[in-house]
Amino acid sequence: MDTQRSSAGDIAALEASIQRHARYSLGKAWRDLSARDRFAAVALAVRDRMLDLSLETEERYRQKDSKRLYYLSIEFLIGQSLGNNLHNLGLRESCRQALRNLGADLDEIEESEPDAALGNGGLGRLAACFLDSLATLGMPGYGYGINYEYGLFKQEIDNGYQREKPDNWLAQSSPWQIARSDETCVVPVYGRIEHGLDRKGGYNPMWMDWKVLIGTPYDMLIPGYGGRTVNFLRLYSARSSHDFDMGIFNDGDYFKAVEQKIASETISKVLYPSDAVVAGQELRLVQEYFLVACTLRDIVRRFEQNHTSFRDFAAKVAIQMNDTHPALAVAELMRILVDEKNLEWEAAWESTQATLAYTNHTLLPEALEKWTVPLLERVLPRHLQIILEINRRFLERVAADHPGDSERLRRVSLIEESTPQQVRMANLAIVGSHSINGVAAIHTQLLQTSLVPDFYRLWPERFNNKTNGITPRRWLLKANPALADLLRSAIGDAWITDLSQLRALEKYACDAGFQDLFRKVKRTNKERLAGIIRDSSRVKCDPDSLFDIQVKRIHAYKRQLLNVMHIVHEYLSLIEDGRQPAVPRTYVFAGKAAPGYWVAKQIIKLIHNVGRVINNDARAGQWMKVAFVPDYRVSLAELIIPAADLSEQISTAGTEASGTGNMKFALNGALTIGTLDGANIEIREEVGPENLFIFGLKAGVVQAMRRERTYRPREFYDRDSRVRRVADAFRSNLFCPQEPDLFAWIYQAVLDENDAYFHLADLPAYLEAHEKAGGVFQDRAQWARMAVLNVARMGRFSSDRTVQEYARYIWAPFTPVVAEEPELLPR
Amino acid sequence: MEIPVDNVDGVAVAAVPVDELDASNSTEFKRDIAPVLQSQTKLVLDLGQLRFVDSSGLGAMLSCLRQLSAKGGDLKLCSMSKQVQALFELVRMHRIFDIYNSKEDAVRAFQH
Repeated sequence: MDTQRSSAGDIAALEASIQRHARYSLGKAWRDLSARDRFAAVALAVRDRMLDLSLETEERYRQKDSKRLYYLSIEFLIGQSLGNNLHNLGLRESCRQALRNLGADLDEIEESEPDAALGNGGLGRLAACFLDSLATLGMPGYGYGINYEYGLFKQEIDNGYQREKPDNWLAQSSPWQIARSDETCVVPVYGRIEHGLDRKGGYNPMWMDWKVLIGTPYDMLIPGYGGRTVNFLRLYSARSSHDFDMGIFNDGDYFKAVEQKIASETISKVLYPSDAVVAGQELRLVQEYFLVACTLRDIVRRFEQNHTSFRDFAAKVAIQMNDTHPALAVAELMRILVDEKNLEWEAAWESTQATLAYTNHTLLPEALEKWTVPLLERVLPRHLQIILEINRRFLERVAADHPGDSERLRRVSLIEESTPQQVRMANLAIVGSHSINGVAAIHTQLLQTSLVPDFYRLWPERFNNKTNGITPRRWLLKANPALADLLRSAIGDAWITDLSQLRALEKYACDAGFQDLFRKVKRTNKERLAGIIRDSSRVKCDPDSLFDIQVKRIHAYKRQLLNVMHIVHEYLSLIEDGRQPAVPRTYVFAGKAAPGYWVAKQIIKLIHNVGRVINNDARAGQWMKVAFVPDYRVSLAELIIPAADLSEQISTAGTEASGTGNMKFALNGALTIGTLDGANIEIREEVGPENLFIFGLKAGVVQAMRRERTYRPREFYDRDSRVRRVADAFRSNLFCPQEPDLFAWIYQAVLDENDAYFHLADLPAYLEAHEKAGGVFQDRAQWARMAVLNVARMGRFSSDRTVQEYARYIWAPFTPVVAEEPELLPR
Repeated sequence: MEIPVDNVDGVAVAAVPVDELDASNSTEFKRDIAPVLQSQTKLVLDLGQLRFVDSSGLGAMLSCLRQLSAKGGDLKLCSMSKQVQALFELVRMHRIFDIYNSKEDAVRAFQH
């Protein structure tokens, strides 16, 4: 059963619209459509509905002259849209029936939609969740990003090794995208500054000899739940100023002419995988500038439709920079206000700071973006001038407040005095923003005290925390329809737009009848996942076993290796000591490693090899299975997460900014085994420490050990035979008989005092936390009670709450502009 | 390219006769406007037809301005489309050219 009713009018209209698009948009009879065509016809029919609502929404905003929020992000990890859009428009059951009338199945059509994988992980998915919340809350907020032709690579596994395949998701164009060729913009890049005088004798730096990029916007409509508001995500594609340069062509050099066209279009060709070394990569810098330049030009164009004075700019426009990738917005907005709109520097600066806000996403100093001064000077000569002037004025102020403190000036400067000099993009974003926020309480605290303490001391009032959230529409209503139905029958459906309403579920936590139904839902989801694992990995697993799941990007700090260490420990305890685990377990992994990240790719190989040994050992057969599900993406996450019993959130304390996977799992009734890191801490506060399994060093201790260099992994190895046996297993060739010494590096790495992720220090506590979890799982009623309480207490982690906090404290005054018509969704 | 030139009250008014002035035709434009620059000191460039100009096109206009200024003359621009105006502003060239909405305004400006 679905959470929506169908209506005869909607069914007939959708059926007719789908057939019309099959015939007139695709040029085929319905019966001749391929699966992909069917999806396109349905998507176009749904898009028509959204377009009507979008025009109504824009008119509503225009009449109120609403302040607009522009969310700039280099990534938007959208995933599939059809199911989500139908849910939000209240049309899912009508569409299902319309398709049934046409002899087609909605689930099959939804499955055939390719994921829009325009992001790597948490940062991009957060941006997508925020768009859903903004529209659901009726807020005039829009996403701005890049229309990558190739999204994040597709992952294939060959003998346990990751192989990357291109993801050409736009190969057949997306029916969701609406090309806005009339709003194309011109972006200059490269060139030099010619220092001259203007007609009044003032200094006039002119940007000469630039090349031109053309940005064409493509809009994806974003319907809020209830269908009252439809906002958009605007993605820019780059193209050259001409199809190709006819001058060069006429001179006989056809290939050079085509090359220039290709070079321009490369800008939006491919998404950079995270953890790839992007510093110094010119294409990435041009990508970031392209996003910022197109976006700001569009924002200014929209502002000028209704306003004349740029002194009002910040009252009508808020811009949120999702990490430092759009930090060039500081220089670009200054350039527009000073160069084009003739504002005095001080007035422009005031306006820029009041408009911009910056969200930090990382505590890893090596992940903070920097661009060399020579590169910036070549690519963006005018912007470098502006950055240097911002820095000169800023340092002058700091120097006046702290005379003689040259060390402080060196630390806060936008320019790092290295060879060559580098521009620190985080410093630029901080100096140019009125708000700097972290994404979980501990992250914000570490941001203030460890990452940029000088800036915090300068402007404590600008720093604030906005704990991340996830949209319950995608991550519960759509991803887990069985649980959504159960919740609806128990407590109604107010939680869909007010997740705090889940608290009403607490009273069912000890209800044996409800627990049975809850377990049935989980069992159904586990059966579905078992089928996916069987089909993709050829591993047979038992849906009654404890599903212990870690799905996320593969990265040393996220410590998939620690998880493997526990698995190895369990396996060796079983076959060498004859000690049976408390419960049978299925260990599930999924995630992509950046193509150039050797350690992460080795971890994928390790998981496969450990799995191969364990899955083929009859002694372990009934107790343990290890599966790696390839090609992790949003649509796969929607299938995996609802099936989890235990959610692995085990990053080294102080390294994960927030995490949002932790929230998705808990919302779907998994218990967390985790460290006191990121949002795990706040999840513990909400669900109660007795309802999850926390272990390991705290961030402060890790920090102190790092600072004082007191970590001695050898002591853990010598002291604890469990630790010793696991570490030794990696140099024994037990898991790599065909490739001797393949994993010996792991032994070296975890026994190295420079192991930045403290694997051996946390391993004993991790093993004990798992012991405890296994024991609790044996008690079905207690596990169900804890799982229900997790669901009931996850209300705080709705992205609706997060967006409301941004609106109230950062984008203010920024409020919903709601429709007066009755909402479209049947209740 | 054939550049039509009118004389209005002692001011030469030359129309840029292309939709796009860029790397493919700016050299040709410079060559063909050269006789006008040699014979005139007061020049209005009518950009009414122009829809796109790149950096070499802007460079060509800058060169016209400099040649006229060097001999005590001046160049004024008129009838720019919004797109072209935006490009001038983008690179701060609107601060060194006198820009007018219409040909008449530009010619009149020479007379004050």
